[in-house]
Amino acid sequence: MICNMSHYISGTVKIKVSGVMPEKFINLCVIQNIFLWGLTKNNEGLFVCMRLADFFTIRPIVRNSKNHIQVVDYSGLPFFARKMKRRKMLVIGAVLFLIILNTLVSYIWFIDIVGVKSISPQQIRDIVYENGLKPGMLRNDIPIKKVENQIMLTLPEVAWVGISFTGIHAVVEIVEKTIPKTQDKAPANIIAIKDGVITEIIALAGQSLVKKGDTVKKGDLLIKGVSYEGPIVDSTISSPPSQKIRANGIIKARVWYESYGESELVTNVYERTGRQEIGVSLKVGQQEFQLKRVAEKPEKIVEVEVFNKKLSWWRNQDIAVESNISTYYELNAKRVEISMEEAKEQSKVRAITALQSLIPETAHVLSRNIEVLQMPEKNLVRVKVSVETVEDIGEFVTIKDEDNIPLN
Amino acid sequence: MQYRKNRHLQRLAGILEIPQDIVLDLPRITMLGNRQLLVENHKGIIEYTPSLVRIKLEQGELLIHGHELILSNLQVEQILVEGTVEEVKYDM
Repeated sequence: MICNMSHYISGTVKIKVSGVMPEKFINLCVIQNIFLWGLTKNNEGLFVCMRLADFFTIRPIVRNSKNHIQVVDYSGLPFFARKMKRRKMLVIGAVLFLIILNTLVSYIWFIDIVGVKSISPQQIRDIVYENGLKPGMLRNDIPIKKVENQIMLTLPEVAWVGISFTGIHAVVEIVEKTIPKTQDKAPANIIAIKDGVITEIIALAGQSLVKKGDTVKKGDLLIKGVSYEGPIVDSTISSPPSQKIRANGIIKARVWYESYGESELVTNVYERTGRQEIGVSLKVGQQEFQLKRVAEKPEKIVEVEVFNKKLSWWRNQDIAVESNISTYYELNAKRVEISMEEAKEQSKVRAITALQSLIPETAHVLSRNIEVLQMPEKNLVRVKVSVETVEDIGEFVTIKDEDNIPLN
Repeated sequence: MQYRKNRHLQRLAGILEIPQDIVLDLPRITMLGNRQLLVENHKGIIEYTPSLVRIKLEQGELLIHGHELILSNLQVEQILVEGTVEEVKYDM
């Protein structure tokens, strides 16, 4: 490797030796301490490699040994340099390219803002621009510390900010503070969001209006947001002036869900056959031109995919130019039959997936009942799934000031 | 005379534990399988063809038969023969 490197730098020449005794030439070279390598012989003659510097000293040896030499190949830095001398513009271009690349890379072209959640990136961008971090700035001229401090000062929501450069991008990394949610202190009632039977009700604040075992409907008032001081013994006694508070409590209720799923035993499935045709139309202003029409074949089932191409808004202001490429795929109908068991399973899965979006994750499922319904149509299998759960059905509703709270 | 001198030198080398190739000016031949053959302390090449290389030594010559033989390194003190070596023969 090192030998190859030194050969490249000094330059090597491959010569062809022809004559009566090429061996004599080689021996003379060796005696002269000329380093030779890659000696090969074929029908054309004897080939040998040597250093360029040695090549200039072998003339007397060649004469002495009565041989002829001919340069077959040459390589190395001296030859490359000579070649480059003749092509000055290429070298200038390469150097210029490197210089331009180096200059352009030392500027900032893009500013990326990462890590923002609640703060708008535009807000940070504005602050950053004002303080001297703009696209087109020299990277070394940017006062990173100042920009960082300014962001910290202007936006109290920011916990940490770091500016780093990756190539021509300036990355502004923001870590936001997690500010604890301000609890709503406004007086509120708790109402039911679902129909159900109350299994547990504990009013932590406010006055509960329902008992365990009561059936409630959606929207019913469960806990009223008034301060409660002792049981109300007699309604005739004028009640003390009640104070509106935020109701709080645990309300658990039994809730029933029902859902149906059906599935056919025999279905038609459409598959693409692979044959397709493409129709192209061009729209200029209000006019539409058909560039390539697709012949209609009513006997075939087709699926059409329309691909609409518009120019960007800034290129499409004066005349609206639009192209529509519609691909017509030929379809093949296929009858697929499934067994009764499979149909039941499919219907069940469908019914349960429909229910899953309704049941909240915190709900505790008590029972699940699956029932296959008898249908007049032979082809259809319908399954009814009913689920019973116990879940929290309370929801806060703020008491508006004009509401007057009747006490009973 | 030459023979006697050699015998003395050889004994001396044996006593002093000096390598014999240095004392007696012998060639050192190293083979790497049948693909490389390094001859040190040679006196030049007599003949070279892809199937035969004849190397001149202090006494006699070394014949290397083979095919696709290449002299990949040629210096005053060593010759490196590459290719497929089939036969190495000493000719005194």
